[in-house]
Amino acid sequence: MGCSGSVPARSSGQSGGLNNLENAGSSDAKNLRVKLVLLGDSGVGKSCIVLRFVRGQFDPTSKVTVGASFLSQTIALQDSTTVKFEIWDTAGQERYAALAPLYYRGAAVAVVVYDITSPDSFNKAQYWVKELQKHGSPDIVMALVGNKADLHEKREVPAQDGIEYAEKNGMFFIETSAKTADNINQLFEEIAKRLPRPSPSS
Amino acid sequence: MDTSSSSSASAAAPSAVTFYDFLDRMRNPASLDLVRSIKSFIVSFSFNNANPENDGKRVQEFFTTMESAIKDHPLWANATIEAIESAMEGLEKYVMTKLFSRTFASTSEDVKIDQEISEKICLLQTFLRPEHLDIPTFLQNEASWLLAEKELQKINALKAPREKVLCIMNCCRIINNLLLNASISENVELGGADDFLPVLIYIIIKANPPQLHSNIKFIQLYRRQAMLVSEAAYYFTNLVSAKTFILDLNAKSLSMEETEFEKSMQAARLANKVTLIEESTTSNGIKTLGEQGHPERHDVTRIEASAMSNDRKSLEEQRRVGPSQRIYGNNTITSGGYGYPFMEAEASRLTTGDVEKLLSVYKDVVRKYTNLCRAVRHVSVPMTVAPIPHFEGNNSSFKQPATKTSASTDSKRGE
Repeated sequence: MGCSGSVPARSSGQSGGLNNLENAGSSDAKNLRVKLVLLGDSGVGKSCIVLRFVRGQFDPTSKVTVGASFLSQTIALQDSTTVKFEIWDTAGQERYAALAPLYYRGAAVAVVVYDITSPDSFNKAQYWVKELQKHGSPDIVMALVGNKADLHEKREVPAQDGIEYAEKNGMFFIETSAKTADNINQLFEEIAKRLPRPSPSS
Repeated sequence: MDTSSSSSASAAAPSAVTFYDFLDRMRNPASLDLVRSIKSFIVSFSFNNANPENDGKRVQEFFTTMESAIKDHPLWANATIEAIESAMEGLEKYVMTKLFSRTFASTSEDVKIDQEISEKICLLQTFLRPEHLDIPTFLQNEASWLLAEKELQKINALKAPREKVLCIMNCCRIINNLLLNASISENVELGGADDFLPVLIYIIIKANPPQLHSNIKFIQLYRRQAMLVSEAAYYFTNLVSAKTFILDLNAKSLSMEETEFEKSMQAARLANKVTLIEESTTSNGIKTLGEQGHPERHDVTRIEASAMSNDRKSLEEQRRVGPSQRIYGNNTITSGGYGYPFMEAEASRLTTGDVEKLLSVYKDVVRKYTNLCRAVRHVSVPMTVAPIPHFEGNNSSFKQPATKTSASTDSKRGE
C-alpha cells in the first residue's frame, strides 16, 4: 500500500500548529470551502499525508469525514475564520492518468506529491504540474510536496531539485513525512495562507 | 462504524418523509400559486422535442426561481433552512418524476452509448479478474462487493436525481468501509484512491448497472447544482471516471498480456453470439421474447416466426440433400435440435459440391442472426424504458416501480 511503514500514534512536529496562521488571509472571508485535489504516483503516500492531517487535527466536536479517498477537514484560524478543505484523492496508477482532469476541474488547490526516494515519482510530479498549468483553473494554488522525508538514507531526489522546480513554476514547496507527521500541518497552513480570499462584499 | 445496510436504510427514510411533507404542503390551498407554476412548467416541456442540454438548463433555472418563491412564500414564513431545503428536495423529486420519460435517455445517442457500455461490460465479465486491475487479495471481499453491486443496480429503479445520487453514495460507502476494515484487519495503511477506484471499476463491471451513461447524464443535468458538491460530487466523479475508463478500456488498460486480452474479447464476442443463436433456436426462446407484453411483441414474433420457418425449410432441405451424416450430422452442437452440418467438417474433406450447401447454411445463419439482433433490439429498448408511468397529474405515478427494473437487467449477465 501507499505508505512507508505504519503511522505511529505520536504527534510530534505539530507543536505551534495553527498559530502560524495569525497573519493569514483577511478577516472578511469567514468560512472558506476549498476543493483540494491530490495528484502523484501511486505509492508516494498521498493519502497518508491527508490521513495524518485529518487525524492530527482530530477534535471530537468537529465533523470530520474520514473516507478512504475523500476527506474533509475544517481548520479554525486565529482570526476566527475557518477553512474547510475538501480533499479529493486521485488514483495514481498510470492507467488512470487520463481521468485526472475529471478530478482537478474546479479545484482551488492542487497538491502534487512525490517520493524523495523515487526519481520516477518526481518526474511524474512534473508531468502533473504541466498538466495543471495547461488544463487546471488559472488561479489554482499549487503545492509541490516531497514526501517520505524521514527516509534520509534512501533519498534520491535532492531537496534543492524540488525547491528549484517549484520556484520556476510559482509553487509552494515543502518536504513532509506522513510517518513522523513532520511538516504535515505546515503544508495545509501554508496553503490556507495562499488562498485568494473573497471580497468583503460577499 | 456504520454497517452498509443500515446506512442505506437510513438514507432512504428521511427522503420519504420529506416528500410526503412536500406533497402535503402542495395540497394546501395557500400554495396554489406554486402548484400553478410547477404544473405550467411541466406542461411547457411537452411542447418541444427533447434537447438534454437546454432542458437541463431550463430545469435548473426553474429550481432557482422556485427556491426564491418558496423562501418568500407565506407557507414557509419563518421556516428554517432545513425546511426550505427539504421543500426543494421534494420539488426536485416531483418535477423530475413527472418529466422522467421526457428527460431520461431521451436521445438515440444516449441509448446507443448505454448499449455500448453494457455490451462492453458483458464481454469483460467473461474474463476480467480483480488481478487485472491489481486489486490486492485482502480487498477481494465477495460479500461487500455484492452489497455494493446491489446498491449500484438500484440506480435505474429510482427517478429522483437525489435518490440516484444516494445509490452511488451507498455503493461507494460500502467500498470505503471495506477499505477501512481491511486496513485495520491487515494492519496496513489506507490506500486511498489508489485502492478505491480499481474496486469501484470492478464492481461496476460485475454489476453492469442498466443505462449507466443515461443515469450519469440525468444526474449531471437535473440534480440541483448546489447539491452536487463535496462528497457527493467526489463519488459521482468517481463513477463518471470509472465509466470513462471502461468505455476506453483496451489491452493497455489492464495488467494482462495484450494478445491474451484480444483473445479473451474475441472469445467473449463469439460466446455472446452463440448464446443468441442458441436462444433463438429453441421454441422457448420465442415464447420469452413474445410474452414481454410490449406493443412490439407482434413484430418480434413475426420476425422470429419468419426466421424460424426459413430456417426450418432450408435446414430440412439440407438434411435431405445433406452432406454425409457420418461426418457432419452432429446435432448436439445446438440445443434446438437443428443441425449445423458443417460444424465438425475439416477443410480437406470438403468437396466443390459442398460449396452450395455451405453457402446456404451460411446465409441461413446470417439471416437468423440479423433477425435475432433486430428482435433483441426491439425487445431490449422498451424493456428498459418500460417502468415509466404516464404523467397525468396523478400522484400515484410517484410510487416507484422498484421491482420491475430487475427484469430490465441484462439477461446475459453471468452473475
